[in-house]
Amino acid sequence: MERKIGVYVCECGPNIAEKVDIDKVINEVSSIEDVAVIEKFKLLCSADGKKFLEEQIKKHGLTHLVVAACSPKEHEKTFMEVCENADMNPYLFQLANIREQCAWITEDKDEATKKAIRLIRAAIARVRYHLSLEKKEIESNPDVLVIGGGIAGIEASLQLASTKRNVYLVEKTSSLGGLLTNFEKIFPGMKPTSHILNEKIQEINTNENIKVFTDCEVEEAIGFFGNFEVKVKSTTEENEPTEFNVGAVVLATGSTLFNPEKAPQYGYGKFDNVLTSLDFEKMNILGEISLKNGKIPNSVAIIHCVGRDEKGYCSEICCMYSLKFARYLKEKIPNVEVSNFYSDLCIPGKTDQKFYEQTKEKNVEFIRSSDVEVTKKEDQLNINYKDENNGKKNLLVDMVILAPAIEPTVDASKIAEITGISQDEEGFFAEEHEKINPVSTSTEGIYIVGCAKDPKNISETIVQSEAAAGKILSSLIPGKKIEPEVKVSHISESFCIGCKTCLSVCSYGAITFDEAKKVSVVNEVICRGCGNCVAACPSGAASIKHFKFNQIYQELLEAVK
Amino acid sequence: MKEKDQNLDVLVIGAGIAGIEASLMLSKADRKVHLVEKTSYTGGTTIKFEEVFSNMECSTCMVAPIQQELLQDKNINLLTLSEVEEVKGSSGDFTVKINKKARYVDMDNCIGCNACFEPCPISIKNEFEEGLSERKAIYVPCAGALPNVPMIDTDNCLRFKGKKCTACQEACMFEAINYNQKDEKLGLKVGAIIVATGFNILNPKNLPKYGYEKIDDVYTALEFERLYASNGPTEGNIVLKNGKTPKNVAIIHCVGRDEKGYCSSVCCLYSLKFNHYLKSKIPEIKISELYTDLSIPGKSHQKFYEKMKETKVDMIRTSEIEVTKQGKEIVVKYNNGIGKKNVLPVDMVILAPAIEPGYTTSKLAKTLGISVDEYGFFKEENPDSSSVISSKPGVFIVGCAQGAKNIQDSVSQASAAVGKILSSSK
Repeated sequence: MERKIGVYVCECGPNIAEKVDIDKVINEVSSIEDVAVIEKFKLLCSADGKKFLEEQIKKHGLTHLVVAACSPKEHEKTFMEVCENADMNPYLFQLANIREQCAWITEDKDEATKKAIRLIRAAIARVRYHLSLEKKEIESNPDVLVIGGGIAGIEASLQLASTKRNVYLVEKTSSLGGLLTNFEKIFPGMKPTSHILNEKIQEINTNENIKVFTDCEVEEAIGFFGNFEVKVKSTTEENEPTEFNVGAVVLATGSTLFNPEKAPQYGYGKFDNVLTSLDFEKMNILGEISLKNGKIPNSVAIIHCVGRDEKGYCSEICCMYSLKFARYLKEKIPNVEVSNFYSDLCIPGKTDQKFYEQTKEKNVEFIRSSDVEVTKKEDQLNINYKDENNGKKNLLVDMVILAPAIEPTVDASKIAEITGISQDEEGFFAEEHEKINPVSTSTEGIYIVGCAKDPKNISETIVQSEAAAGKILSSLIPGKKIEPEVKVSHISESFCIGCKTCLSVCSYGAITFDEAKKVSVVNEVICRGCGNCVAACPSGAASIKHFKFNQIYQELLEAVK
Repeated sequence: MKEKDQNLDVLVIGAGIAGIEASLMLSKADRKVHLVEKTSYTGGTTIKFEEVFSNMECSTCMVAPIQQELLQDKNINLLTLSEVEEVKGSSGDFTVKINKKARYVDMDNCIGCNACFEPCPISIKNEFEEGLSERKAIYVPCAGALPNVPMIDTDNCLRFKGKKCTACQEACMFEAINYNQKDEKLGLKVGAIIVATGFNILNPKNLPKYGYEKIDDVYTALEFERLYASNGPTEGNIVLKNGKTPKNVAIIHCVGRDEKGYCSSVCCLYSLKFNHYLKSKIPEIKISELYTDLSIPGKSHQKFYEKMKETKVDMIRTSEIEVTKQGKEIVVKYNNGIGKKNVLPVDMVILAPAIEPGYTTSKLAKTLGISVDEYGFFKEENPDSSSVISSKPGVFIVGCAQGAKNIQDSVSQASAAVGKILSSSK
């Protein structure tokens, strides 16, 4: 095919014109092979400039376009749109940055002119090897799979379900509600949990667009954003798995507690009347706080930060629920002595300090301590600790409540494997970006919420569920097709040596291995074009569209010649 | 109201990280968004930070791509230098009046070359740089601000004081400067409103014991952020007022916590981040962090703390702090954890003041007809449930305007508010 490359140099007012000898640039570049036309213009990004470019493409029947102007960050999109308007494939265009990377930073006009020529020559060399790329559109399924029937999963399901969108809610136990069903009240509002929870569960059960699977587990979730194939299996019966398709998945698998038997100094499992926070919630909700011998405790110690050192993180909610426990105790056993053994009080946010102060007013003791150890002394438990002066102290109590670290549920690894997402060092699901993409994962269409992601309170959990629902509602719209990335990787079947290196570096699970042909295969719908596989491939089989070896090589060759 | 009568457009107030997130998500769902921002730029307070905890990512690099996306998004009507003046109606059918101040620089013609700054004869303190450097009467707040279009500050521009200066107009090659622009009153109709107006920090001047504004080299956290910023007043060089490099720094946590009655959630972590800022520029510097309780919740933050401790920072649990000047030295007096009096001579003090609701919060609450809590933050309808629901249906509250929080939690709330809006008309 005959190439007709059009080259257009933007003066950018005085910004480029004063620093670069544009006429000299035109003179030097015009003789390059395939350059059909070269012109300068005052301001190509202006309405006039865009119109001019569009007319030029049509008038000269250009096959490729090079614009020498500003940074691609500023106007690459602008000029790609011009191409589209002129019926030219927008990927047959290249922008040479002769403003930010040349005119603005080069003092000497001759030097700047030379550099501009190099940059434009390089862009011409590159664009010559550009190929047309087409946007694809694929059908998507708007339905959603929610794994975990605790408050996080319940909230997400309620936000998402509609007449246009079915939700499949899978819970491994026999009922919905998760850990919350054990709590009498929740901080800081101290309203009965049952009020909030029962109403929501009722809503779930009466919603025709939510299909609830209790006593079930997800066995398989294969596919990509818009198209996952799911298999759900009963954990109690020997049935064939239920199969359905969804477009997105929300992981709300919750948390469990660090087992305090792993930190033997607290006497858990060894002495009677040493409880975990969950044991205590369960005892409290049944109506009576009592010792093993049936008596009512006169003194209770709450030990914070159990397992914090072992786990290496602060579980965020233990200080607050310990305060809540103090209130439970003072309410039900007015004369009980309650002592909190803590290291640092972690009560961030606008409501928590007030809650602490109001709890303290109820004659609750706070003892800043370290090296806490629980031993047995006659009928009582002895708390041995070091105070702030490093002095050894002790306190006799009837009951000990431990606040153990929050851990991901035991099956988090299995779920991560099934869905192909990553976990962090602690086993929590890893977010796509800690700050700006907190509920997304590196696999598009799979979202993480609640304590499965990191320890948090109920309000924050609900916010995350709504956030994940927001992400799905804004990107997976019933009837609307989805557009995958265009500049994706391709692995050449004939060059691939089957070493599987690419599989280990792909962050998105976009590469699979064809066992029959013994080659790696890229799923173009999942690939985001990051280039990891290209860099890692030892045989040169992997390449990214629009960043092919020859395109970059030819560009570099001219730039450094 | 029938669903078909519901207006699907959304008003987002505040173009910080939370407002940007909400706007982009709504646009993705094909919603028309009016994004009202009272300053001339987007990015809010986040763009003042050089790096963010805990992975120390460059903040500008994190935010710039989404700022750029915002500017190029055709569903988003960004209204800078604008404020909401009146809101009437109810969920699904709000009528909003906006006052849009003139920028006096045409957004379409300006290419952001900055040629207009140089000839301007006026020089005044730059508020964006916390007053640590000067700007002209025509200016962008910092290099890299987006949109990269200057504004004229009519309080200080000679022309708007009756003089005949046209220096900036003469310097502009694109006829972008238009002194005849007028403030505009805009009327909008929207179905829902997201309020993301951010925060201020407490002014430590009101707490004289910290010596702020009385003693040189006592900085607030935001001032220190700008001192370290590569696009800031010192281009990232941490220097004392006398031009020397500091040798001993005290970082004081919880400034104003007792007075405000709440923990601001982010100060411990950013104070630890400052430790990294200081050590990376001045490896031999001695740092003392004066704190009461370390509040570093969440899965990644303790590791960050432990990594920061490796830099040999002195973590001192304290109470009753006083910053004094003794001769040429700054002396920080404090009680240690067990009540013993101590002194710490330093040459620089960084204060971590409490996070407060933004200045416009109470006025805006009245305009919107939503409640504020006892601290002045927008109040959530139910503290045990979703924190983004305000006291008025159709109005959602996100980010630090609802309460002190980090970037992650602000972004989550923004996404949640969008979830609520999209879910209500699904």
